[in-house]
Amino acid sequence: MLGRIRREAEKITINNSGIQGVQSINAQYESVARPLDNLGITEIQYAPQGGQTASLQLNTLLINTLEAGYSGSYSLDVMQNFTGDIPFSGIIDYGTEKIYFSQGYLETYSVSCAIGEIPQTSTTSTIYGDFGTGVLFSEYDQGSSLIPSLNIPSYSSMEVNLDEFTTNRMTSFSVDIATPRVPIYTLNADKPNKVIAGTPIEVNVNFSLDVDDYKIKNMRLVPDETIFKNATITLKKNNSDTTLLSYSFDNMLLTSESFQAGVGSNATANFNLRSFILR
Amino acid sequence: MATVFYDKAAVEVTHNGVSEQLLATDCSLSFSNAQSPLYAIGSKGTLGQFPAGARQGDLSFSFLTTLTGTYFGVNGNIINSLASGVKMAASNSSEVSGVEIKFAGVSGSGYLNSYGVGVQSNSVSSSSCGFTFFGSGTQLPITGRLDNFAGQTIQTGKLATGVAHGRYTNLDNFATSLTAGDSAANVFGADYSISFNHNPVYKVGQEFPMTCLYTNAQETLGVTEDVFQSGLAFDSAANNLTLTLSGLGGNYGMEIGLSGAKQVSTAMSAGMDDIVRTQKNLTAVY
Repeated sequence: MLGRIRREAEKITINNSGIQGVQSINAQYESVARPLDNLGITEIQYAPQGGQTASLQLNTLLINTLEAGYSGSYSLDVMQNFTGDIPFSGIIDYGTEKIYFSQGYLETYSVSCAIGEIPQTSTTSTIYGDFGTGVLFSEYDQGSSLIPSLNIPSYSSMEVNLDEFTTNRMTSFSVDIATPRVPIYTLNADKPNKVIAGTPIEVNVNFSLDVDDYKIKNMRLVPDETIFKNATITLKKNNSDTTLLSYSFDNMLLTSESFQAGVGSNATANFNLRSFILR
Repeated sequence: MATVFYDKAAVEVTHNGVSEQLLATDCSLSFSNAQSPLYAIGSKGTLGQFPAGARQGDLSFSFLTTLTGTYFGVNGNIINSLASGVKMAASNSSEVSGVEIKFAGVSGSGYLNSYGVGVQSNSVSSSSCGFTFFGSGTQLPITGRLDNFAGQTIQTGKLATGVAHGRYTNLDNFATSLTAGDSAANVFGADYSISFNHNPVYKVGQEFPMTCLYTNAQETLGVTEDVFQSGLAFDSAANNLTLTLSGLGGNYGMEIGLSGAKQVSTAMSAGMDDIVRTQKNLTAVY
């Protein structure tokens, strides 16, 4: 009989921590086996070209965070902790089947929220270790677990500090962090000898506004009019003053602005701030 | 006009009745006829152009490093075997015969000038070689015309088990190890090359040489790793080393022996978004 697997039979565990509030998972690999081509070719032979990796994309509602006791050395968002040089391993369960993965490294981390929404995080990771099932998984290690608790932030209880919103209404924001990775491969190995946490980390913060007196800046890079801003976004527990997460970036360069107007909507503006963090 | 697509332009090498079609990725062939103008006092303009040397051809090609068998006692492919044999001939001042090379319908008897093999992590190994066609006696260096030349097509797909690959090649025997350091180096890749000098012997009354002698050979191996050896010895000991390249499926390795090799240089370099990599160069001469 044909069956199907629905969300209640699916889950993802990373470093022994169950990830909560998952909205979507996308895990995939593409074989690096490529056909060899040569003058006078007579048959198709496949050989690996480049290191074999897989990718993992995860979208979650930000409804579970670590408890405050972790705050000394961890971000309270489990996934944000992997923007550093810590690898992760895990399992995706679907029905009675499992997908194992190891040596995962976060490549991008995003958090976004709009009016009427619960903040969401999106991550993309590269799996440099093993991925899938089979004999390769005789040894399988996971890092130490981080145990999150239910803590729901809300758009109504967040704080954004940018000096623009006293007269202009912010309708959405997103923070995008790109953490480059540099795998180092040696001879006689198909997994990297090490994965270096590259630098710099690129941070983009995007805002959408319903504008009142927001002033679009001059697009020329005029030294006296170059805009650098400090941006701080604080997510608080719903109907509470308890801070869950805070994203704070200094000296971000204003890199783009856009303005939209239409007959059926308010005038809006979007702008992007960008900075680079060396590590 | 012959229109030959690359799939019908195979490169085949034959020596002593043993042939192999190499998995060539490029091949170029040239044929030259050196002419010099002659001038004379009392004559305006030239007296004409006259031969300045024997006609000769050159052929070079790159190919995937195949591990197709044992040729004349040497594992790997026929070019590797040929290089090994010529190296011995160069050290013994022996006379050698050329090898028959066919490329897209054109053929000639060539003498190996150079041979190189490179292997990098997670990549298919590639090789390259160059030949000179001198001709012999009354035989032209190059004959034939551009035409289709390929083997029998096989409509199946399979894993390339007979090709050397960085994933399966272990060169830990070349890793630099410092006694005061923390560990041996990681080896990221290697590039081997050998060049041969030969001496075609011409006689009066005949355009093409009567024979060809190899005079000497020099080989170089560059190893890319992550340990810098600043303590190079002024008169270091010579080593006999073996470079072994292996392929998918545990094929026997292709071996290249370096006899009396000495490290002649070490270097390190850095590029953006990468670790600092070091390179040492070993040479051996014959």
